[in-house]
This record gives sequence, structure tokens and C-alpha cells, in this order.
Amino acid sequence: MAPSGQLRVGRYIAVLLAILVALYALVFFTGDRKLAPRLGLDLIGGTTVTLSAKTSTGQPPSAESLETARQIIENRVNGLGVAEAEVVTEGNTNIVVSVPGQDNEDVKRIGAAAQMRFRQVVKTAPDVPAAEPAATPTPSGSATPSASGSATPSASGSATPSGSRADALTPPTLAEVTAKLGGRSALATLTTLTDPAQLADGRAAPLVAALEKLTPAEIAVLPAAVQFNVPQITCAKLNARPPGSISAPDQQVTACDDTTKYLLDKAAVLGTDVSSANYQFDASRAQWIVTLNFKGNGQDKWTNLTRKAFNEQDQDRKRVAIVLDNDVVSAPEIQGVITGQAEITGGFNEQSAKDLATKLKYGALPLTFEQQTAQTISPTLGLAQLEAGLLAGAVGLALVLVYVLFYYRLLGIVTIASLLLSGLVVYAVLILLGRPNTIGFTLTLAGIAGFIVSVGITADSFVVFFERLKDEIREGRSARSAVPRAWVRARRTIISADTVSFLAAAVLYVIAAGAVKGFAFTLGMSTVLDLVVVFLFTHPVVALLSRSKAFMSPRISGLGRVAAQAAADTEAAARRATTKEA
Amino acid sequence: MASVLRRMYDGNGAFDFVGRRRTWYVIALVCLLIALASFLIRGFNFGIEFSGGNSFVIPAKNGVTLSEASKVVADAGAEVVSAQEIRGTEHSFLVRTAGLSEDASTRVKFAVADTTGIPAGEISDNRVSPSWGSQITNKALLGLVVFLVLVTAYLAFRYEWKMAVGAMAALLHDLLITAGVYSIVGFEVTPSTVIGLLTILGFSLYDTVVVFDKVSENTKGILGGSRYTYSEAANLAINQTLMRSINTSLIALLPVAGLLFIGAGLLGAGTLKDLGLVLFVGMAAGAYSSIFLATPVVSGLKEREPRYAALRSRVLAKRTSDAGRRGAAVAAPARVGGGTAVLDEAAGEDGVAGSRGARPAGRPQPRKRAGGNPGRPSGSKRRR
Repeated sequence: MAPSGQLRVGRYIAVLLAILVALYALVFFTGDRKLAPRLGLDLIGGTTVTLSAKTSTGQPPSAESLETARQIIENRVNGLGVAEAEVVTEGNTNIVVSVPGQDNEDVKRIGAAAQMRFRQVVKTAPDVPAAEPAATPTPSGSATPSASGSATPSASGSATPSGSRADALTPPTLAEVTAKLGGRSALATLTTLTDPAQLADGRAAPLVAALEKLTPAEIAVLPAAVQFNVPQITCAKLNARPPGSISAPDQQVTACDDTTKYLLDKAAVLGTDVSSANYQFDASRAQWIVTLNFKGNGQDKWTNLTRKAFNEQDQDRKRVAIVLDNDVVSAPEIQGVITGQAEITGGFNEQSAKDLATKLKYGALPLTFEQQTAQTISPTLGLAQLEAGLLAGAVGLALVLVYVLFYYRLLGIVTIASLLLSGLVVYAVLILLGRPNTIGFTLTLAGIAGFIVSVGITADSFVVFFERLKDEIREGRSARSAVPRAWVRARRTIISADTVSFLAAAVLYVIAAGAVKGFAFTLGMSTVLDLVVVFLFTHPVVALLSRSKAFMSPRISGLGRVAAQAAADTEAAARRATTKEA
Repeated sequence: MASVLRRMYDGNGAFDFVGRRRTWYVIALVCLLIALASFLIRGFNFGIEFSGGNSFVIPAKNGVTLSEASKVVADAGAEVVSAQEIRGTEHSFLVRTAGLSEDASTRVKFAVADTTGIPAGEISDNRVSPSWGSQITNKALLGLVVFLVLVTAYLAFRYEWKMAVGAMAALLHDLLITAGVYSIVGFEVTPSTVIGLLTILGFSLYDTVVVFDKVSENTKGILGGSRYTYSEAANLAINQTLMRSINTSLIALLPVAGLLFIGAGLLGAGTLKDLGLVLFVGMAAGAYSSIFLATPVVSGLKEREPRYAALRSRVLAKRTSDAGRRGAAVAAPARVGGGTAVLDEAAGEDGVAGSRGARPAGRPQPRKRAGGNPGRPSGSKRRR
């Protein structure tokens, strides 16, 4: 019995078992209960696009502005109707769009700059509930916000050409779309419509059928009035129009918010005319308000716009819509001619007021997006990469196993068991981290490579321990007393070494972009789990084994030879000592 | 050969790493100069992620061959830079082209699909803008700096700043040598390569830390005695951890070999190959530097401290007198007894380190007696 008392092996193993059981209970009984980790697009096939956002000044955008841009991009992607799309920001300039599956070439073309326009409302109509999945969640208050102020005239709308990038892969022309609808007469019929209700009678049935088949890109080239008056052109379809479809300031356009379809006049004021936007709680009226200021020239344009709207009789025309990208963000009624700061009120809570102010600020300094990378992996190539990754892991692991068995024999078996256990823990953690309710970690090919590389780190902890053990036995200690002594020293080294490895992985993770993050993540995770396995399994098991006789047998453990050598040396030393005394 | 292995396995201090440090410095310096010259003259072979460009992976279907795949892409209006075969479970062709605009890239893909009859969904493509490379390069450099600062701080805190210097020297050596190999051989540099390079830093340090751990243990009590100089104790530490260093490097290299085997051998291109290759080269350099550079540098620095310099004079003086005594008494084994006694004094200060040092210290004696070579690591004599 060792002086400090025998190691309570059972206790460590029990803790480890408890961890394993807990992990697998979570895997089997919570979340979506899927038993596979979430795989990255390079393994299952899909399209990944990295956009980098820049302001016109070349400065990196503010975090707020980048997040707004992310939402805009997300709206565009959802508008395409693709499933399981993911849009995330990365670093301080990048937005990464990931879409699984095939044939998502459209995703590569969503990087047009999102512009803000102020347009007087011409008409409104309720949206027809769409059969398609609802595309655009528009935040902001539901009650009609109102603006107030007083008068001063003069202004004009300056036209900024929008970043329409569909120069190649030719976008549909009006002529093509007209042909699809059944020729000029059909378009003429549609153009004469003045109200959505008119298309309801039966004689337009073939036309309606043709209309329903139009793609969002085709809808975008139809005249705005047609887009507005045809109920088959739903808000879901309108929101899916290519980016920049309605940014031309000198044209009437049709756009939607949550519930309403708007026909909007030419843009009299642009987002870039805004100088600042804020939100605050107005204590006197006990409500949240959004305030809006314009630049010198913009202020004049805004005043003119509000005067025009204020003097209208029609309730719809009294409103001015704020349009960001393809969406109506807000459409407040103008309650006076505004010459100074504008206030938007109406049913805001803190969040919705903040959202609107953020969007206005974004509109004031719109970001342009540069496509940095665009990658499509076909599902078959993805599968091939997955297989290659697993095969590489198997080959690497097999090499390690053969080596440790050859070199450490019995201890080699402990190593293998530890690695397997480590694998079990890693697998459970991977599944759990891949769940959407955790961090949604996706395993990429680089991630698999990270695991393969980490086998070396994990196995090395055993090497450190076993080599120490060999030292102790060489000094002539019995296996029983050698194990605790070796462990105390090896533990320190293992912790130092793992700290350094973990540090490397953490730094990589923080600074890296794209697939590399996955590599760093798995490497770091394995390092931590390595500690768990070494402390809770390898050491206790070796301690347990040290109590058996076979542990020191040269054939079984490889420690026997060291011990035999040590014994021979001791004998030699004893002889020498005798000589000396003699 | 067998005896060399045996000496390594025993870890008894039979190899003089620290004493011959000038030799290792010269070797490292020559390698570094070659690497630097290659940076200037040959530069690097950067992949499309750095220079910008497009690549298409076309499955080998419908009787498409490598030359056809290349031609089809060229006919679609792209300037083909290279074309290679990718084997593995899906046999396909990788065609790299000069930079194409976003839409041109999609157009080429569709054109290839039309010509070959392979559905567009089965063709993989990758477009990288020219500015992407600078973005990831900046990030990699930032990562490198952050990592070096953190690790230096950690090592300085955990051990001492001189060890941090030694570790940094080893790290820079690994980095530059690996980069040099890439430059000389002309391997393609991709983001995976850069990441692999940063990972190597972790590995190299890991290895170094284990040796340092032993060095600090062995040198803890030596000021109390006059048996060993700092360099000798450090050299002993390297020898004691030698087998572990070799084992570590081998065990770390084996999975990487798996990566390389599958990545380069079976697939011929991609993340696995890039990572495998850079890790393989870097880990080899790392194994070398943690043995031949890190500790020798630390020893060199430590020997300049007055107390270790004083220790050195004491040790040398004692050896001279011992040698004199031995000449008179003939009984060489007497030295063994003396040595052990001194180390036991040290054990009073640090029982663990002292007694641990004692064993390996005693063991080489028979060999030395046979060789008639007084003083343990031979390098110590040559230096002064």
C-alpha cells in the first residue's frame, strides 16, 4: 500500500462514466435526437459565399451596420426560397452565406448594395396570403407612425444609379416576359388595370395562370403599376426580386411591409440624405420615438416631400414610405410640413424603435459588398471529401495504434482504450455542439483534419506519462510506487503542454476565417478532452494495472526490460560501492 | 546502430547536445540563410486563395478526359492556368483558371455543363477575389503576433524569460525552415498551409515545453553543489526526454502521415494534402529545434549569469582536483561515490530533482571508465 493511500480508481472511472452517460443521455433524449454531427457544406455539398462589406469611405462598417447588412442579405437569401440557409457575420467586415444543396447559383448574386429611399405612397392594398413560405420578417411598430413639424420649401431628387449587377447572365427583359404572358395584348390588359379587384373575373384565367408562373426576376421588369395591381404577384414574390430591383429613384415602384402592398412614387429623398437617426423615450407622451435629421440639401428635399404629402387629401398619399432594399421599413403618415428634425411615433417599443433607427442609420451610409469567395461543392464531391477525411483518420489512427502496441505493449492497449474513449466523448460533444440550440457547430473537412492532428496530442500525453513511469522503474521502484510518482510529475508537464496547444488553437480560432475556424475548434476541443481522459481514465487504469504482477512482465509491458536493466545496474553499482569500501 | 538506439532508450545523457551548440547554431543559420535566399529569389507559389482566381471540379463522367475538361473550360471563355486529376472515391478533374467575374464564373459552369452533358449541380466551383488573399494574410500575421506574445508571456511566467527566448528562437527556426522548404520545392501555398503553419507553432512549443520542464527540474538544485554546470544538467534533461521527444514527434507525425497519404496520394489536392504537407515538414523542423536549438539557447543565456558562471568554475576546479586524485589513487570508481554524495546534498534542497538526477548521473560511469574520459559531457572542456 502506498503511503498516501491507494488511488481510488473506481471513483475516477465512475466520474468518467457519469460524464459519458450524461453526454449520451443528452444526445439521445434532447434536441432533435440526431445521432450524427452537423456536417459542413464541403462534406454534404452546397454553396458558400463570403461577402466583405465596405463603406463608401473605405472604413470598416460599424458592428450595428454590419448586422443590418446581414439581415438584409438574409432577407434576400430567404427570398430565393432556399432551405436551411445560414447568414452569419465573420470578423468586422465579412458576411458568410451558406446554403446546402445543389443549384443555388442565385445565391452568388445577392451582393448588390442595399439602398434606402423615401417615397410617397400612391396606393396600398392588403397582401394576398402567400402559399410560399413567408419571406421577410419586417420589424418595427404595427401602428401607423406619424411625423410632425413645420414648414419650409425647395428641393429635387438626385438619382444615384443602383448597383444592378445582373449585367451578365442576362436578366429577363420586358419583351421576354410579355411574350410569356401571351403577347402585347396581355400586357396591355394588365396595364389598364387600376385596381387589384379587376382581375378577379373569369375571363382573365389564362393570363392569371401565366402570371403565377413568373419568377421574381421576371416580375421585377414589369411596370410598377402592374406589379401592384395583380394580386397573384404576392409580397413573397416581390420580396424575392433581385436586389436593387426597386432602387432607381426616378421610377415608381411596388414594395411590401408585413401586411401591405404599396405602390410608391419616385424617390424624392435618398437614404444618403439622412445625416443621423436616433431613438429615445419621450417621457411627456410616454412613448418611444425615432428621430431623423437630414443633411443640408437633403433637408430641403425632405421638406418638399412632406409638404407635398401633407397637402394631399387621400389618406394613402399622406404617407411616406421608407424603403430599404426591397422592403418597406416604415410608412408614417405626414402630419405637417417638416423643416427640422423629424419624429416618427406610433406603437414602438424599445426594440422596434431601435431597429428602425438602426436601419435609417444604415441607409444613411449604405454598405457595398464585394464577393470575396464563392464556392459550390457538389454533393458527390462532398461525400468523396468526407470519405477521404475519414479514411485519412483511419490510416493515421491505425499507424499510431501499431506504433504504441509495438513500443509500449500493455500500456499501448491502455493508450488505445484511452483514444477510443476520447473518441466517444468527442463524438458526443460534436453532436451536441452541432445542435441548433447550442452553438450549431458544423464539422468541416478542416475540422476532421483537426481531429486527426489532435490524435498526436492526445497520444503524446500518454507518452509523457509512460516515459516518466519508465524513469521511475529504472530507478528501481516497484510498479506500485512508481505510478503515483510518475503521475505527479507527468501531470505538470501534460498540463503545461496542453495549455500551449490550447492557446495555439484558441488564437487560431479567434483570428481565422472560414474553414480554418473548424480546424482550430476541433484541435482546441480535443486538447481539453485529452486532459479529461488522461486524468479520469489513463492514470487510474495504469494505477490499477500496476497492482497486478503481469504489469512488470517484460513480454507484456515493455517496462519489464527497463526494470531488469535497472536491477542489473543496481547490482553493478553495489559491486562498485563494495570495491570502494574495500 | 543498436547501441545508439539503446543509448536513446536509456536516456542516460550520452549525447552531447548542449556542448556542441555552436555546431547546431551554424547548421540552423545556414538553413535559414538558404531559406531567406529562396524567399527573395524564388518567392512562393501562391494558390488561388491568395492571388485570386477560379477553379472548377468536373466529374470524370460521360467520357470526359483531363484534356477535354481543360478544353471545355477554355472554350467557355476562361483562361486555364492548370488542370489536374483528382482520384479517390470520386474521380474528377480540377481545372484552375485566371480570375473571372461573379457572373462569368457561373456562365462558364453552365457552358461546361451544356458541352459535357454533366448536370451543373455536379460541377463544383470556387471563386476567390484578388483581395481575399490579403485579408487572410493579415489575419494570419495578426494571429502569429498574438500567439507569440501570449506564449512568450506564458513561458516567462511559467518558467523564466530566458526559456521564453529559447522557445521563440526554436519557433522562428521552424517557421522559416518550413516556409523555406515551401519556397524551394515550390509547393502551393493555400490558406490551409498558413493554418498548418500556425498549428506547427503549437506543436513545436509543446515539444519544447516538455524538455524545459525537465531542464528546470534538473537544474533546480545544482547551485548547491559543484558536480554539474548548468549546460550539463540541461543536456542531461534533453537526453532524458529524448526518447519522449522522438516518440512524440513520431506519434504526431503518424496521423499527419495518414492525412498526407490520403490527401496527396489518393486525392492529389485539397485541404487534407495542404495541411498534411505543411504539418509534416513543420513537425520535422520542430522536432529538430526543440532538441538542438531551444535548450542550447537557454543554456547559453544561463551560463552568462554570474552564479552559473561561478558554478562552472567550481565544477571545473573540482574536476581538475578529482583527476589529480584519481591519477594518484588509480581507483576510478571513487568518482561515482563522490558524485552521488554531491547530488544528495542537492536533494536536501529539492529532494525530487536531486534524487532523479542521481540515477542517470551514475549510470554512464562504466562507459566513461572504459573510455577513460574524465568529466561528463565532453563539450564542456572544449569550450574553455
